[in-house]
Amino acid sequence: MQAQPAVKKKVKSVSYSHWGYIFIAPFFITFLIFGLYPILFTFKTSVTDAVGWEKILNNNIIGFENFAQIFTSGTLANEKFWGALGNTIIIWFFNFVPQLGLALILASWFTDSRLRLRGQGFYKTTIFMPNIITAATIGMLFFSLFAYPIGPVNTFLQTSGIANMPVEYFRSTEWSRGLISFIQWWMWCGNTMIIMIAGISGINPSLFEAALVDGCSSRQTFWKITLPLIKPILVYNLTTSLVGGLTMFDIPHMMTQGGPNDTTNTVARFIYTQGFTGSRNFNMASAASVVLFVIIIVGSLIIRYVLNDHEPKPAKLAKKGAIK
Amino acid sequence: MKKVLSLVLALALVLGCMSIAGAEAPKTKLVVWSFTNELQGMIEKYYAPNHPEIEFEFQIYPTDGSAYETKVDNTLGVPDAAVSEEAPDIFTLEAAFVKHYVESDFTGNLKDIGFTDDELAVAFPVMAQIGQNSNGIQKGLSWQSTPGVLMYRASLAEKYLGVKSPEEMQEKVKDWDTFLETAEELKTASEGACKMVCGSGDIWNAYQYQRSQGWVVDGKLNIDDELLDFEELCKTLEQDDLTQKAGAWGETWFAGMRGEIETLCYFLPTWGLHYTLKPNCVAGWDAENPDSEENIKNATENGTYGDWRLTDGPVAYSWGGTWMGINAAKAATADDTKKAAMHDLIKFFTLDDDFLTQYAADSGDFVGSAKAVETILANGGTPNPFLGGQDHYAIFAKAAALANGSLMSEYDSTINDLWDKFVTTPYTKGEVESVDDAIAEFKNQVKSVITTIDVD
Repeated sequence: MQAQPAVKKKVKSVSYSHWGYIFIAPFFITFLIFGLYPILFTFKTSVTDAVGWEKILNNNIIGFENFAQIFTSGTLANEKFWGALGNTIIIWFFNFVPQLGLALILASWFTDSRLRLRGQGFYKTTIFMPNIITAATIGMLFFSLFAYPIGPVNTFLQTSGIANMPVEYFRSTEWSRGLISFIQWWMWCGNTMIIMIAGISGINPSLFEAALVDGCSSRQTFWKITLPLIKPILVYNLTTSLVGGLTMFDIPHMMTQGGPNDTTNTVARFIYTQGFTGSRNFNMASAASVVLFVIIIVGSLIIRYVLNDHEPKPAKLAKKGAIK
Repeated sequence: MKKVLSLVLALALVLGCMSIAGAEAPKTKLVVWSFTNELQGMIEKYYAPNHPEIEFEFQIYPTDGSAYETKVDNTLGVPDAAVSEEAPDIFTLEAAFVKHYVESDFTGNLKDIGFTDDELAVAFPVMAQIGQNSNGIQKGLSWQSTPGVLMYRASLAEKYLGVKSPEEMQEKVKDWDTFLETAEELKTASEGACKMVCGSGDIWNAYQYQRSQGWVVDGKLNIDDELLDFEELCKTLEQDDLTQKAGAWGETWFAGMRGEIETLCYFLPTWGLHYTLKPNCVAGWDAENPDSEENIKNATENGTYGDWRLTDGPVAYSWGGTWMGINAAKAATADDTKKAAMHDLIKFFTLDDDFLTQYAADSGDFVGSAKAVETILANGGTPNPFLGGQDHYAIFAKAAALANGSLMSEYDSTINDLWDKFVTTPYTKGEVESVDDAIAEFKNQVKSVITTIDVD
């Protein structure tokens, strides 16, 4: 009988908190092996002379020479890396601006309580659809569509009398870049739109009602209520798009192989050609990856800084209050 | 019922144990790695039944991306892993990366496991040369040989050029100057409807064997003078509208095979005849029953079945192939029994006359031993209805004997790609002022991705 309180005490002290750790362990174990370790390995490889598979484990540390090549003007690595970054930013810009614009318009239409659009489910699904298909497949699809001299687009334009000669789309810088931007835009617009809708739906409806009562126009509601309140979502979207855009690889690789004359060669393709073709310059590929990593971090921080509300400090508020 | 079953099971267990105990000598284990199941199928069908003393373990890693190479490098590049149980004793190498491995220390000298010069002499020189490193050490052997020829449509040749036999056609394409003249003649005769070839990429596969030296000579990038002639040829073909102006493996390329548009010539090797041209000779080729009467009737009436002929073309060349190599680290520690087993296996598949003759008859593949090919030709060859009864073995044998395999280097796939992208394409399309400008950019590109060779 005396033992009972002791048992009770023990039972009381059973903690379930370790289950929490066990449940989240698979992610962390997987991340450590397949996420963190490769990142650290890349950092290490970037300061070595690892050229070729034979030297991937068995190499010498040579310091920051690879980085020096990327940052010294006049070297090939410098020219190709920054050229590729320029291409990437151009392609990303023409993909992102229309994507965000259209996604915002669609999202505000779909959530507008005054419009009450019918068949929303159908439109949302249709717009989201391209996102389900693998990018590589879409790359191949567009490559076939715009094939020269015989391809669906060329054949259509000629038989319908719009063009009298087939156009070699993938030998034109503008067409190649434009098509890649278009594909990225077309694929990701639905995704952005869904996130925007979620963001707008999260806004307290009483704010919209109040605006309605006060006689706000749709435009005023959008600019004065919707937009400021979904700013965190915009920051999220811009950041993920920046990460995705700067590491763009599959569409240019499948469709143009970086051509014509390297004008659609993105940074990720530069890294790929360094690491996986020719003499397999893993050191240069790793160094370029590290530079890209830093560029993305800086870019994300800038987006956060520019878009975040710089709320007045409490001291300032107090002052304002005092003036009042 | 249960008792009977348990008795049977117990009996089976005892018998099973006995048979293991009863085996006299321990089996020799050979680990074979490959990127397709082709070799495994061949070993299981032709070799394993007669060699119960050998236990095989197969590993297949597809070549998608560079999965196979990565696996091989990660295993053979790490000293402990290279001699482990799972590491391959024998592994296969394809044309894209065979040179890389025979130049590395991963592959062993075949003479170390007992090959002699006499044995090696019966292999076709081109395939043997590709399996050698730059010091001439034989490290890889192939069971097939992949010589390339010129394939053309007999009906178009007769209609526009008045050519009635492969011999007459050969006169029209005996060298590249004549090839160009014939292309002009074809344009005039067909009023531009029929093109000589699909694009410059087709010609490249053959033309690169025209060079006297490969891409890398003494560790330096070498641009052979023949390549400048190649550029002029392609530019004339492109500017005078003598090709379809399209790349290989695209819609235009296949449309020409089906006869939907008129393309006279294709440069293809042995496998290209069976696996590319034939299944694409008609829309709706029945891959399940290729030899069915219905399929052949459809292909003859609506496609180009039976219309193709082979001829040597301007130059003998080779395209593709699969080599067998040995893991140097494991071979070094193997005992004599194991070495003999490896020797016997590779010899059987790459040089054994009886096997290769049988295999050629079963598969239609063009084999790697010159002696076996002679035997096949002496036995009446291989008349092919797809070629209107022409014997493809006779033509391929000639090309296989002539092609120069010493040109290939380990960087060929990268450099060929860059040459096409930065020289041939912009120059033939007139996007650059001069070929020298294009070559300057090409050199930059090579320098950027291949840091282990010198580029001026």
